[in-house]
Amino acid sequence: MTVEQNFEALDQFPAGMRVLAVDDDQTCLKILETLLRRCHYHVTTTNQAQKALELLRENKNKFDLVISDVDMPDMDGFKLLELVGLEMDLPVIMLSAHSDPKYVMKGVTHGACDYLLKPVRIEELKNIWQHVVRSRCDKNRGSNNNNVGEKRDGSGNEGGGNSDQNNGRANRKRKDQYNEEEDEERDDNDDSSAQKKQRVVWTVELHKKFVAAVNQLGYEKAMPKKILDLMNVEKLTRENVASHLQKFRLYLKRISGVTNQQAIMANSDLHFLQMTSSLNGLDGFHHRPTTVGSGQFHGGTPGMRPFPSNGILGRLNSPSGIGVRNLSSPPAGMFLQNQNDLGKFHHVSSLPLNHSDGGNILQGLPMPLEFDQLQTNNNNKSIAGSSMAFPTFSTQQNSLIRAPNNLVVLEGHPQASPSGFPGHQINKRVEHWSNAVSSSTLPPPQTSNSIHHQFDVSPLPHSRPDPLEWNNVSSSYSIPFCDSAATDTTNPGAFSRNTDFDSNANAQPGVFYDSLQMRQSGNYGPTTDAAMLSNNPKEGFVVGQQKLQSGGFMVADAGSLDDIVNSTMKQEQSQGELSGGDMGYGGFSSLRTCI
Amino acid sequence: MQRQVALIKQSLFDQGYLDEQFMELEELQDDANPNFVEEVSALYFKDSARLINNIDQALERGSFDFNRLDNYMHQFKGSSTSIGASKVKTECTKFREYCRAGNAEGCLRTFHQLKKEHSTLRKKLEHYFQLARQAGPKETARRPK
Repeated sequence: MTVEQNFEALDQFPAGMRVLAVDDDQTCLKILETLLRRCHYHVTTTNQAQKALELLRENKNKFDLVISDVDMPDMDGFKLLELVGLEMDLPVIMLSAHSDPKYVMKGVTHGACDYLLKPVRIEELKNIWQHVVRSRCDKNRGSNNNNVGEKRDGSGNEGGGNSDQNNGRANRKRKDQYNEEEDEERDDNDDSSAQKKQRVVWTVELHKKFVAAVNQLGYEKAMPKKILDLMNVEKLTRENVASHLQKFRLYLKRISGVTNQQAIMANSDLHFLQMTSSLNGLDGFHHRPTTVGSGQFHGGTPGMRPFPSNGILGRLNSPSGIGVRNLSSPPAGMFLQNQNDLGKFHHVSSLPLNHSDGGNILQGLPMPLEFDQLQTNNNNKSIAGSSMAFPTFSTQQNSLIRAPNNLVVLEGHPQASPSGFPGHQINKRVEHWSNAVSSSTLPPPQTSNSIHHQFDVSPLPHSRPDPLEWNNVSSSYSIPFCDSAATDTTNPGAFSRNTDFDSNANAQPGVFYDSLQMRQSGNYGPTTDAAMLSNNPKEGFVVGQQKLQSGGFMVADAGSLDDIVNSTMKQEQSQGELSGGDMGYGGFSSLRTCI
Repeated sequence: MQRQVALIKQSLFDQGYLDEQFMELEELQDDANPNFVEEVSALYFKDSARLINNIDQALERGSFDFNRLDNYMHQFKGSSTSIGASKVKTECTKFREYCRAGNAEGCLRTFHQLKKEHSTLRKKLEHYFQLARQAGPKETARRPK
């Protein structure tokens, strides 16, 4: 939207808000249109999802909000939802006659900002503009961070603290944003300032750097300013980093929170990136050249290294080195992605990473290629409705993708509930990620056998193995689980591994990682290892590693993210040595606060 | 005349053919959209006739693909709800239940009933709109007392 347009629209906002309504039922569409007009919105309608996508792609700034029916003949409403979220980063409201909570949940996990039941009433439509404001504020927050980096004091609590402020300022900001796009003098907190919105695309490489920096600093101590310094990227502002970090944390938290075996692993990475990418409109999502919206998971996306099957993660990692973008959000899950169900991460990523800076949180995540794939997949697919953000992953093994709500991504993996590992895992993952990313050549999952080795990942927790190392290491790791996973999406082997691990792992947050690792088989190398370790402490593979680090993590039955985080954090702290502080995430606590 | 129109409308509500949703639609009708309700009704009947045809064919085939039938019905129900066609909606729900139970005979029976309700409603509404048009556009927008 141009400033001028926005400006005008803003004046009367919410009147004049541009809505795109999609519903194959002509009767409902007409009624909806009239209702919307009655609310003084500017309405465009179409009864075909494809047409809607075209309209949106034609000009992203043409619409403020999309309302879509769920049951449509030419495309699943959820799929459209994901695509729109990823590509255009617009708020989408789902509409359906289904009041079944499963559908509502699906809508939420696919990124819908609201779910309305038919027949829709005008009262409900009168308030839908709030979603637009909210998403703008979030974006502003992200961009403000970028702009106001310098101005702001280097407050460590990016995201967390600011969000409050941001919210408070949201409304004000929104208007400000419109009116004062260039207002760089805003002294708001990182998030709230309505500064010029600069979308930073968190490419895989960038994310890798980010993750590496976080690891280096230590998850807990990771402050945007320091991360920024470490990353040493031109034109990246503290706000960018702060918001990305926030997302990443949220993502990790979310991932760890999704204990479902399925979801977290696979989805997290991809999800993270996806999530973020959706925010960013998928630009950087994985750098995957694949067209977003192509709906297909790039199973083998470019660069995706080892993960052939899991494409998703692979994509995440591969294309540009795993630009786990908004890693912040995806909790451990992200890393876990490596599992076959990278897609799982995807689900997990339902995290609100919709930061403008490119929701590709996952991208940056070192999650071995898998993430990459996931990401890319996610991005492209984003939606595939099937929770599979990471299509590649879930496909085979885990049906993660299908995970009911993206969250679950890891379905296949019994252990998928990585949620347990939050802190620890994340760190590991981060490292993994960065490693993975850096070494875009993540060792193909083939090493499945060596999986166990991977858990040696010790390098992970302790030291920040340079990315390359990680990869090397990971390669061996990831494979164990992934045996076949890496190579083919359906790594039954990989799954099995997980399952085996699951015995313990599943319960644990670590499981997530395990699953991921396993799945990813190869790429995950570093990350997966962590996961693996954490997941199956018992397994032995990881145990070594995990035990060290997350002794506590994994075990936790990651029933809830909080638990995981807590346990992770505790673990982290107690295991200082383990994590070596590298894992930045050690400090889930910080994550917590952020979230 | 207007009173007559109002009475007819009232009876439709009383008899359960229409529900509050219809009233909502009427609220939407205004000068800018003087025949909104009628237009929507026309759309509805056109759409639903097509759906009914599809369902008829599916049933005639005797294959009883419950999933598909359920899908059709879901759609039908959606639009019936949007327009406030209460009785039709009820039949839709029943039909779907039979589908889920795999009860072919129940489906057939219900569908038959549904078609009946549908055409009854159609006639009544057409009559109503006709009168309303005669009575004058503004009057039709009034809610039944």
